[in-house]
Amino acid sequence: MKRGEFWIAYVLLLLAQLLISNYFHVTPYVMLTLLPVMVLCIPLRIGTIGAMLIACLTGLTIDILSEGVLGLNALALVPVAYIRKGLVNLIFGPELFARKADFSVARYGFAKVATALLLSLLLFLVIYIWADGAGTRPLWFNGIRLAASLATSFLVSILTLGVLAPDSRK
Amino acid sequence: MKGRGFLYKLASLVVFAAMELAMLYLTTRNADLQRIWVAKAGHAFMGKVWGSSEKVGNYFRLTKENSLLVQENEYLQRELSSARERLRQARIDTMSIDRHPGYTLIPAEVVKMSRGKQHNYIILNRGFQDGVKEKSGIITHAGVVGIVDAVSENHAFALSIQNHDISISARLGSEGGSGLLSWDGIHSNGALLKEIPLQYHYNVGDTVYTSGYSLLFPPDIPLGIAGEARVVNGATNEIKVTLFQDFSTVRYVMVVHNDALDEIEGFTE
Repeated sequence: MKRGEFWIAYVLLLLAQLLISNYFHVTPYVMLTLLPVMVLCIPLRIGTIGAMLIACLTGLTIDILSEGVLGLNALALVPVAYIRKGLVNLIFGPELFARKADFSVARYGFAKVATALLLSLLLFLVIYIWADGAGTRPLWFNGIRLAASLATSFLVSILTLGVLAPDSRK
Repeated sequence: MKGRGFLYKLASLVVFAAMELAMLYLTTRNADLQRIWVAKAGHAFMGKVWGSSEKVGNYFRLTKENSLLVQENEYLQRELSSARERLRQARIDTMSIDRHPGYTLIPAEVVKMSRGKQHNYIILNRGFQDGVKEKSGIITHAGVVGIVDAVSENHAFALSIQNHDISISARLGSEGGSGLLSWDGIHSNGALLKEIPLQYHYNVGDTVYTSGYSLLFPPDIPLGIAGEARVVNGATNEIKVTLFQDFSTVRYVMVVHNDALDEIEGFTE
């Protein structure tokens, strides 16, 4: 995937997330998000600070253009960008960084990609749900919301991977 | 290269922290719930920090606190001692009100008392300097306790009623027969009223009083309750008596001395 194609896909997914945030309110237990997978797939040639800035802008865009607390998505998304490099290094190995390449399911297998995705989703959702509840919701509610949101967001994110990290990049 | 890598990591951390703080600030500015939440967390954190520093400060102030506590303890001990003395005096004064005509009464406190022997004794904190004389009786509100046997300047030695060597003259009921009451040697509150002529009838539960014939004790001091009797040698009754006096709690007593004792004894001699 060329550099320009990635960013077009990124903006399209941002618009998709905006639609989801504004119109997908099936149940309070599910918070569907594509943001962690988007940040995880930011090309590795972009450093941590750059990735954090992109994540911050992405989160703020969603916060401003959708109903919700201003700064909440950005608050939860910046840590994903901060740990992105370490997470990729840990799961895919240091050679990925050395080659400035990007990961894909075809090259590294579903399990590794799914693990990276699950961990970034988990980090994002834990911060988001914790800060959104602001200590007013019981633990069981937050637990169910985390589990349900993790499951649905993971499934949608796996599909999104085909757009952001297609096998042609191998 | 390594130095640059470290600086980049440091810069990343700083940018991360700055962004998170900025987003947290943005969140709390735009949502009341989050603002209250963050404020509460801040207060809790500050409470912990200040609470811990206060604990450390308290630890170093312990020496001073201990010194103050010692002073306070000393003051309270003095107050307690003074209050006890006042209470003791009040009790003694109250006992003095029960006067028996013809008898001199001297309040006293038991200094030492034996109870586990067959020949028990009592030592009082009053001696001849206080007016205590030999051959004086010792009584309480619950009965007779003993007889003064020897007197020193400040103390008196007395034979307890729980002593086989002494017996006192006692009367059965208000107008019954008189006999000699002595300890049964077994029970702390058990006594035997001996030499009651058979013609005197009584009921179990009748009160036994001092008769006044012994010259040592005023008459009509209740001593105990009459129990079952047995006939001795076919001539007299020996009646079991349960004494009112609980010897385990005796502390304040009254020394009674018959003012006419010497005069009356002069006749008998």
